Amino acid sequence: MKVTIKDLTKKFASRDKTGEMVTAVDTLSAEFESGKLIALLGPSGCGKSTMLNMLSGILPVTSGKIYFDDVDVTDLSPDKREVGLVFQNYALYPHMTVLENICFPLKIKKVPKAERIEKAVEIAKMVHIEDYLKRLPKELSGGQQQRVAIARALVKKPKLLLLDEPLSNLDAKLRVEMREEIRRIQRESGVTTVFVTHDQEEATSISDYILLMKLGVMQQFSATREIYNNPGNLFVADFIGNPTINQIHGTYTADGIKADGCDELIPCAIKANEGDRVVFAVRPEAVIFENEKNTVNATVNDLYSSGKDWLVNFMIGDTDLRGYCDADFNVSEGSKIKVGFKEKGAFLFNEATGERY
Amino acid sequence: MAVREKKVRKYKDSDEKITARSLITPFVFSLPFMIGLLIFTVYPFIRAVLLSFMEDYRFLSGKFSGYGLGNYTAIFSDPNFINALKSTTKYVLIVVPTSLVISILVAVGLNNVKKLQGLFQTAYFLPMVTSATAVGMIFRWLYDYDYGLFNYFIGFLGIDKIHWLADVKYTMASICIYGIWSMLPFTIILLLAGLQNIDPIYYTAARADGAKSKDIFFNITIPLLAPTIILTSIVNVMSAFKVYDSLFVLYGAKPGPAFNLYTVIYYLYDQFWNKNKLGYAAASAMILFVIIALFTLLQNLITRKTNYYN
Repeated sequence: MKVTIKDLTKKFASRDKTGEMVTAVDTLSAEFESGKLIALLGPSGCGKSTMLNMLSGILPVTSGKIYFDDVDVTDLSPDKREVGLVFQNYALYPHMTVLENICFPLKIKKVPKAERIEKAVEIAKMVHIEDYLKRLPKELSGGQQQRVAIARALVKKPKLLLLDEPLSNLDAKLRVEMREEIRRIQRESGVTTVFVTHDQEEATSISDYILLMKLGVMQQFSATREIYNNPGNLFVADFIGNPTINQIHGTYTADGIKADGCDELIPCAIKANEGDRVVFAVRPEAVIFENEKNTVNATVNDLYSSGKDWLVNFMIGDTDLRGYCDADFNVSEGSKIKVGFKEKGAFLFNEATGERY
Repeated sequence: MAVREKKVRKYKDSDEKITARSLITPFVFSLPFMIGLLIFTVYPFIRAVLLSFMEDYRFLSGKFSGYGLGNYTAIFSDPNFINALKSTTKYVLIVVPTSLVISILVAVGLNNVKKLQGLFQTAYFLPMVTSATAVGMIFRWLYDYDYGLFNYFIGFLGIDKIHWLADVKYTMASICIYGIWSMLPFTIILLLAGLQNIDPIYYTAARADGAKSKDIFFNITIPLLAPTIILTSIVNVMSAFKVYDSLFVLYGAKPGPAFNLYTVIYYLYDQFWNKNKLGYAAASAMILFVIIALFTLLQNLITRKTNYYN
């Protein structure tokens, strides 16, 4: 099912008693393609959970519209929207067994008992929880509870599956396993899925599209690869990517960027206005060591092994930067090196507005 | 309760070894309470057990003819005691479920009150801190044949006035109404606490699953409240078995208008003070003790079954 959001806004009364309204989501418009996995990403307090709750119908909207396949659902209650919800702490009913939990939405719909058990078992098999049907939630591990929660959300064949921080309660190893499971289950069921996360790695690793938010305002909504390769502003470039993107503050000149605290000009192919204060942002993998032309002098601070290659921490002037080099590249702490930057993975932003040139 | 015990055990494992020396401090701290417990609870209890087996015990001389089951056979052939057991059981069966149902409805209502919740909670709790004598006075007035509110209200329904306190037919009814009313505050407060312990996320989840308020009440609220419901009903059963103060306030220390409503505790009191049959009193106390102990066991068993969280 296609989801269309138009000028969606949510305002809350602020907690201090000034009576002022706080805008949690600000005139946000987007269109989620059918059958895709979409990540709502952003730092805490950016309004991503508010977005999700408005999609589910738990929270009423202040203004704007939500359409499911061109049907206006803005004022429909959660049970009429045909959405499946998975909560951050799973919210499995503690007094019901796994089977009863999965059956519950069908029981409410008055589906005959034999039929609902059949459907529940079918879904349980899909999420690989069929061996635990007789257990209570307290007898399950976090990952198993997560699977049950997804099964419960999927059993009524929702048109839209919503997951609120689905992985934040799991330990690191399980998190990687479960995010792949979510991907698999989403692919198998083909249901349009929206999940909320503050972890950019989680978002980039499994989603088709990422909607990145900051303080209630959408920063960028594009395909996952696109948001990494083509960030619209400095916030997006900074938020997506691990290690985070290198940022060199300086003044733009036609011959290169005059970085703060550095005597040399950093060559830059991107055009800006002469004298603009800019931020030259470079992905760590776009740093080239042992380069002959267009280089800048740098000093190695530290080296971290990341298995097949080194993560080099180096300084250009006062700026701390990171880049990857081959494990056989001969440097050590304090080495003077020459570095250059690839064009792909290097961006230029206005320092004041964060806008990209 | 079971949870707390488990935790304590865990601490004990990790702590240093228990020696006679390390036990001194906790021993000294608990001593004042222990002394009180020994003098006022443990000793009287043992005495009562012994007393219930002493035949022909004389209070002043302390002489008795020997140990035996005489007291027990005597009270079980006493129609007043059988009557007391029967009417107490009937009282328990009427008062506990009725007050529980009313309390659940009131507690759920109170839990949903958004404004002035504190005020309402206090209002419902008030009967518990009001003295039994004052309440008794008020109820005697409520039950009054000519001027009482109960007769006033049933007048509206076209029912003839009732001699609530004087008519033998209505003794059980009037004592039950009083019993239900006086049981409400404690039950409501406990249930309200239980309700507030339910994570609202389950209601949200159920709503998202398509459940209506009625579905939520029966499928989520009641099962999750079950531990509290069981706890309160067992506590109420135990306290209802010990009913006798209402006889004092409503009938002026008589078991009903025509000595028709003996309760077990009233029987005990009567044997002790009025008839000077200390052995009978002790034996009836033991019978009540066994009944209540059985319910306590039952509570422990069920509480363990309804522990969904750990």
